Amino acid sequence: MSASQSAVRSRAEAVKVSRTFDWLIMFTLFFVILGGYHVHFMLVAGDWDFWSDWKDRRLWVTVLPIMGITFPAAVQAVLWWRYRIPFGATISVMGLLFGEWVNRYFNFWGWTYFPINFVFPSQLIPGAIVLDVVLLVSGSMQLTAVIGGLGFGLLFYPGNWPVMAPLHLPVEYNGMMMTLADLSGYHYVRTGMPEYIRMVEKGTLRTFGKDVAPVSAFFSGFVSIIVYFLWHFFGRWFGSTAFTKGS
Amino acid sequence: MKLIKDGIAKLSFVALLVTVTAAMFYAPTASAHGEKSQAAFMRMRTIHWYDLNWSKDIVPVNDTMTVTGKFHVFAGWPETVAKPEISFLNIGIPGPVFIRAGSWIGGQLVPRSVTLELGETYEFKVLLKARRPGDWHVHSMMNVKDGGPIIGPGKWVTITGSMSQFTNPITTLTGQTIDLENWNLGNIYFWHAFWYAFGIAYIAYWARKPVFVPRLIACEAGKHDTLISAMDKKVGIGFMVATLAIVAVTMESTNAQYPITTPLQAGLLRGMKPIEMPARTVAVKVDSATYRVPGRAMQMTLTVTNNGDSSVRLGEFMTASVRFLDPAVHEDDTGYPDDLLAEEGLTVSDNSPLAPGQTRTMEVTASDAAWEVYRLADLIYDPDSRFAGLLFFTDEAGNRQMVTIDAPLIPSFI
Ligand SMILES: [Cu+2]
Repeated sequence: MSASQSAVRSRAEAVKVSRTFDWLIMFTLFFVILGGYHVHFMLVAGDWDFWSDWKDRRLWVTVLPIMGITFPAAVQAVLWWRYRIPFGATISVMGLLFGEWVNRYFNFWGWTYFPINFVFPSQLIPGAIVLDVVLLVSGSMQLTAVIGGLGFGLLFYPGNWPVMAPLHLPVEYNGMMMTLADLSGYHYVRTGMPEYIRMVEKGTLRTFGKDVAPVSAFFSGFVSIIVYFLWHFFGRWFGSTAFTKGS
Repeated sequence: MKLIKDGIAKLSFVALLVTVTAAMFYAPTASAHGEKSQAAFMRMRTIHWYDLNWSKDIVPVNDTMTVTGKFHVFAGWPETVAKPEISFLNIGIPGPVFIRAGSWIGGQLVPRSVTLELGETYEFKVLLKARRPGDWHVHSMMNVKDGGPIIGPGKWVTITGSMSQFTNPITTLTGQTIDLENWNLGNIYFWHAFWYAFGIAYIAYWARKPVFVPRLIACEAGKHDTLISAMDKKVGIGFMVATLAIVAVTMESTNAQYPITTPLQAGLLRGMKPIEMPARTVAVKVDSATYRVPGRAMQMTLTVTNNGDSSVRLGEFMTASVRFLDPAVHEDDTGYPDDLLAEEGLTVSDNSPLAPGQTRTMEVTASDAAWEVYRLADLIYDPDSRFAGLLFFTDEAGNRQMVTIDAPLIPSFI
């Protein structure tokens, strides 16, 4: 065996080097995804994710899955079609949540003193696992988009409800009714964010009475399907290797 | 090999930097000192705050103080600023150093946005509960949609004690008393940790064997299908079923634990009650107004008619929260912020009592360094060179009457 053929001399050594690669790549991947996804998410979902008094039954439920499925779709495209690795969505979402928590804990709480129970991030992991497993089992991009995308949208509200419900207890406050989340928004002063900027409970889904959250979730799921396709192709394109001819 | 390792190490470092930058990208604004940078005409011709009172200078944590007063919504509201149809009574403090325990306009609680009418005067009150120790500048503040924040005067208030002692007890309509400062916190941490661990477990299953290199080699060789075993699929389905089951079960148990929840409350509040102002008995006409740049003084020629039944004297001119007083007529005893108070800033050519039925033309000069310090002199660079403000006349009984003025201004550079 000549030196130009292989840098390792045994199978054990090859495994060891391969493992080193794994950890380095995983580490890099995690933080690169985190950086891009986090900035993207803050720009497009920003306030809906920052403040508990923005997490309503209409726009929060609709906007977050649609904006959230983007990077998972693209990373899945790279990891599945080039490596057959079925955790693209999960690792993306975990990267995002890690970044969100760093931001909320150190900036929102540590720097500006907003209580964490007012500024915690939204939960996306259940939907991401379903997205990954549908791809793993079906091996089909179309099925992942349709079933996984819909699931990603539908699981968002119930996946967050255990932490949101206690903030939706009603309070009578100086003659007006509010939820605890509304009260947090009123108490913990955001000088730069007047109340009228808040976009909650707006929309035309009034015909469904009080059960607007499931309707919003379905709508979100459908749009997530389309966004999945779009970002899947971004991922494919980004993950392709093109060779240019040398002279 | 070493080269590749170095390359990856470098990349990781870049990634770390990207992350740190991304995470630092956003922090909610902590500053409340925009007052001087706001265009002078915005401060002079939109909302005039007056009769302000900060109930305390020093507040221990958990104690409350109030900021009270009146604001006049100027009838000559500038064209370039959106009308205050959707406005929010805010408070200018650096983040939640106080909590806003209540805020009222004309006795109505205003946790949401309101509609204000031009030309009206409203009474307001903001109740603050001290949370974080320090010296804080507390401003009255009105946000106007598409118009921006209109900041009133600010006064330094000191909070003493320790933030760890702060509590925010609230009793819900379901009968529980909770501390909003840390309510639900354990629950949030638990569920976020739980799902994070669940995600790690899922990835760990795939990462227990070499991941990238052998998989890439197999895929390049076209052997994709060998990489996912039947066992792998079973484990994956297991994770998915567990996820769905956990979400379903916790949804149920949460609803059982909190059977009564209400949606977020939103919507514009209309019909704010303005103050019934007594009929104005003093009429003022601005004959001319000049701002003398070198002297930092504004000179006005006013023709004043007293239509009332008590003689009056001009005691104060106020614009953009700066108060120019004639000490012979009116002295401030409310503890108004020093930097905004020109106690002897108003001189009047003839300020003897103006008897009922009389008319007099007087030369009024308002001069103080505040014109420069508060950048009101920048008025001369505004597209519409006008000024506006409030005049306060004091009658024999000591009652003050407010009259608004609004007129063109000619700068004088020599
Ligand atoms: Cu200030």
